[in-house]
Amino acid sequence: MNTISLERRRLGDEPPTRSAAEDMVVFERVQKTYDGRTLVVEDLNLAVRRGEFLTMLGPSGSGKTTTLMMLGGFEQPTSGRILLEGQAVERLPPERRDIGFVFQNYALFPHMTVRENVGFPLRYRGVKGAEAARRIEDALEMVQLGGLGERRPAQLSGGQQQRVALARAMVFNPKLILMDEPLGALDKQLREHMQIEIKQIQQRLGITMVYVTHDQSEALTMSDRIAVFHQGRIQQLSDPVTLYEQPENRFVAGFIGDNNTLACELAGTENGLVVVRMQDGTRLLTTGPAGSPGESMTVSLRPERLGLDTGSRQGAHNRITARVLDKTFLGDRVRLALEAFGDARLVASLPAAEGAAIVPGCTVAMACAAADCRTLTR
Amino acid sequence: MAQTMSLATPLSRPDLRAALRRAERPNRLRALALALPALLFLIVTFGAPIGLFLTTAVRNPEVRHILPQTVSTLDQWDGQGVPGEEAFAALAADLARAKENSTAAALGKRLNYESAGMRSRIMSVTRHLGSFADGPLAPQFIALDPAWADTELWAIIKRNGAPVTLYYLLTAVDLGQDATGGIGRVAADQAVFLDILGRTLWIAGLVTVATLLLGFPTAYVISLAPARVAGLMLLMVLLPLWTSLLVRTTAWVVLLQTDGVINQVLLALGLTTEKLQLMLTRFGTVTAMTHIQLPFTILPILSVMKSISEGQMRAARSLGAPPLAAFWRIYAPQTLPGVAAGCLMTFILSLGYYITPALVGGPRDQMVSNFIATYINRDLNWGMAAALACLLLVMTLSIYLAFLRIVGAERIKLG
Amino acid sequence: MWLPAYATRSERLGRLFVVLFAVAVLVFLIGPLFVVFPLSVSKDPFFTFPIKEYSWRWYADFFENTRWTKSLVNSLIAAVFSTALATLLGTLAALGISRPGFPWRKAVMALMISPMIMPVVIVAVGAYMFFGALGLTDTRTGLVLAHAGLAIPFVVVTVLSALSTYDANLTRAGASLGAGPVSVFFAVTLPLILPGIVSGALLAFAVSFDEVIVALFLTGADQRTLPVQMFSGIRDQINPTIMAAASLLTTVSIALFVLLSLIRRVRRA
Repeated sequence: MNTISLERRRLGDEPPTRSAAEDMVVFERVQKTYDGRTLVVEDLNLAVRRGEFLTMLGPSGSGKTTTLMMLGGFEQPTSGRILLEGQAVERLPPERRDIGFVFQNYALFPHMTVRENVGFPLRYRGVKGAEAARRIEDALEMVQLGGLGERRPAQLSGGQQQRVALARAMVFNPKLILMDEPLGALDKQLREHMQIEIKQIQQRLGITMVYVTHDQSEALTMSDRIAVFHQGRIQQLSDPVTLYEQPENRFVAGFIGDNNTLACELAGTENGLVVVRMQDGTRLLTTGPAGSPGESMTVSLRPERLGLDTGSRQGAHNRITARVLDKTFLGDRVRLALEAFGDARLVASLPAAEGAAIVPGCTVAMACAAADCRTLTR
Repeated sequence: MAQTMSLATPLSRPDLRAALRRAERPNRLRALALALPALLFLIVTFGAPIGLFLTTAVRNPEVRHILPQTVSTLDQWDGQGVPGEEAFAALAADLARAKENSTAAALGKRLNYESAGMRSRIMSVTRHLGSFADGPLAPQFIALDPAWADTELWAIIKRNGAPVTLYYLLTAVDLGQDATGGIGRVAADQAVFLDILGRTLWIAGLVTVATLLLGFPTAYVISLAPARVAGLMLLMVLLPLWTSLLVRTTAWVVLLQTDGVINQVLLALGLTTEKLQLMLTRFGTVTAMTHIQLPFTILPILSVMKSISEGQMRAARSLGAPPLAAFWRIYAPQTLPGVAAGCLMTFILSLGYYITPALVGGPRDQMVSNFIATYINRDLNWGMAAALACLLLVMTLSIYLAFLRIVGAERIKLG
Repeated sequence: MWLPAYATRSERLGRLFVVLFAVAVLVFLIGPLFVVFPLSVSKDPFFTFPIKEYSWRWYADFFENTRWTKSLVNSLIAAVFSTALATLLGTLAALGISRPGFPWRKAVMALMISPMIMPVVIVAVGAYMFFGALGLTDTRTGLVLAHAGLAIPFVVVTVLSALSTYDANLTRAGASLGAGPVSVFFAVTLPLILPGIVSGALLAFAVSFDEVIVALFLTGADQRTLPVQMFSGIRDQINPTIMAAASLLTTVSIALFVLLSLIRRVRRA
């Protein structure tokens, strides 16, 4: 075991005191505007827990990168406070924050070797000689780049450059690591591989990580918690499963995974379930927040939760008769474009074997559990 | 069967390369054909003239053409003692023809480079040819000027019978040949050329350093400025570049004059009590040249600075480097390609300056180019001009080669 | 922009100092250009500031003196012809060099660029000697040829830069739609790189119009160009008419520069 992991252990072993001490970073009512007119970040309140992997997810322009830049010290909040381990840091320059930052496109120094890049932060922390050499080696070993220390960044593949950036951000045992779309430039396979590797390193060392991405599957794979950003606001902050299963609003429902969003109005409640009325009058049993009867709302339903009605389902569920408009073969699954509730369009995703006999034009009986139909009021 | 075999076997490596070359030949030829007119044009209007001019540095036609008989007679001479009567007779015959063709002066001038006094000796003999009595000519030559009994004088004539001479090139580096052909330093009072070369390199170096010191921070500020301000600043760099070099030099003449603007301002501000001598000085020359070369240094540096992403400085700071350290360790090293391009270009161009030293500089500030022009215009000494041109060209081309290696011709940008 | 948001106080102070320094350098760069024009409209024949009385008399001098007006006409003629020649040859060369199969590209480029860096005196004396042997000294032809040689690199570099942003697929698309190579060139390539060619031509014009040394060696009294006339004037005795000539020369330069900037803007839009 190298020192990095040992020291992290010790940090992680600290007994939890108050909840505030568990918060590595706290954003308090943070606002940011560049032009004095539009707020890029509106009233941000967010606590990052010690040792957690928190992802800020959102489309471009949603404020997630600005938030990360404020935390890294590259931008200053227009108002509000940012606390790092309880200390206000808005005015602290980046070099004194002791935060590891992995940049989009890595920002490796092209005129330095890999070893010099990784050793760069140690130079400013008084780590010299054999100790520095050992820590550089350890960091390179950790990202499986041992032996490439004398190369220049330009002589490395994209994936290797990414690893150097990671090693450089971790070699000085920062209390927090920030990553700004670090895998955006890699191809799909390598990206998926690195997602797992980064997650493993983070868990092994117990480091707090704040990760920015616009790729929802990356966020779901890696995160302990995800903050979904949109229009300068956090739309939802929860663990991946909750985010997927119980989106709190239409934006989140649409942004995370495929989803059918269907317009309806509230009919009432029944046995703790929410009953809604579709366009054509069909009643659907759903779960989620309810409003006043007659209020128009949205039901969200994942394509893979809409299956063929085999009559063997347990619990409260809905039957839906639909006409098949189109069928797409996806290898392990088939995707059906359906028309139901009058002229509403929805999509279902079935195991390929189940959908084998279905042809466009035929009518199918579908079913879904009430728990999978989520009502959204916003 | 054999045919199928040969089809199935892939081409071996050398065959493949030959096949590739054959397949690409039409494309290569077509591309070359487009560039050929310009290449030929440059060779004819640019390469050939320069080549022709440079060969005059070693060409030695005078003695060979004006004293053909003498030269062939001296071929037999072993260089020991005064040559025999036939050499004097040949010289007399050659000089008689030279008198007719009025080429004696050119001969005298050429031989005078080798040994002072030769011009008057040749001219005097040529004048007295008619009054020479019949009979042996040698005593009559020697009676006219005892120097004709000097072995060294004949050695000089013999040596310069050769079509090629090193005289000009050696002189250009303050070396000379003695009568026996040995090479050595010339007398201190004649050793002026290394001083001129050194001065040229020194002035070009000063200008390069000055443009870097002034230009680097300026390029840095332009690269940081918001787009609108940067555009205005860039305009202030490009406008002088577009203004004719002569106009800019003229402006400096007006500024630096004893009654010029700078002195007027200094006096008005009470910074000096008497007018400073700025024209015809090294300071004035370097100032004007720095002003003219500054854009050439700034622009490549600026273009490199613009390409350094902001992420580099962010990364340096987030890894713990304080502002100055981040600048010197991360930013500055990455500007080196631009610094090299700008400084090499300014140094190359500064070496060849003519107009500005001619108008702003004093006698001690004239550079190699000015001497080349003077040798052509005033002294009509083409050989010396060509020898100096050779040296200037060697300096220029070696730095140009460094420029090509470090920067590359394809990366030159304009404006 | 001037400073990142995370700058420290000492950084801000340092930056202020650097900005002031750069502004001083820019004033040094642009200042001398503002000396010439005011003196050319000063009634006073001595070069003194502040100017007491304004007058166009030196311009009147310029235009009434046939030596000056003839030199201006000579300059324009030489510049027009050498520009045409350099633009044609330089554009063709750039088209060749930019092709993927071009042989010895590095060496050819090094050669093409060399007139830019060659000490002009060497070029001038060489041309004086070589053209003298061909009977081309004291002729306009000799001057035009020499200036075209000096201007070719500027055209090559500018057109190459225009071609570097040209998408070769456009040529392929043209060909796939049935146009022959020549038609594709005139219908597709030429219109797209025309701004680059015009920029190169403007530079070539400026090179010829401002050139002193080669013209000094190659021209006799009849072909004397404006810069040569000015140069001899300054060597002799600097006088206000020279300021008027310098102002005219600058006006032409600035006009060329403005044209070039406009072309660049159009190209970007």
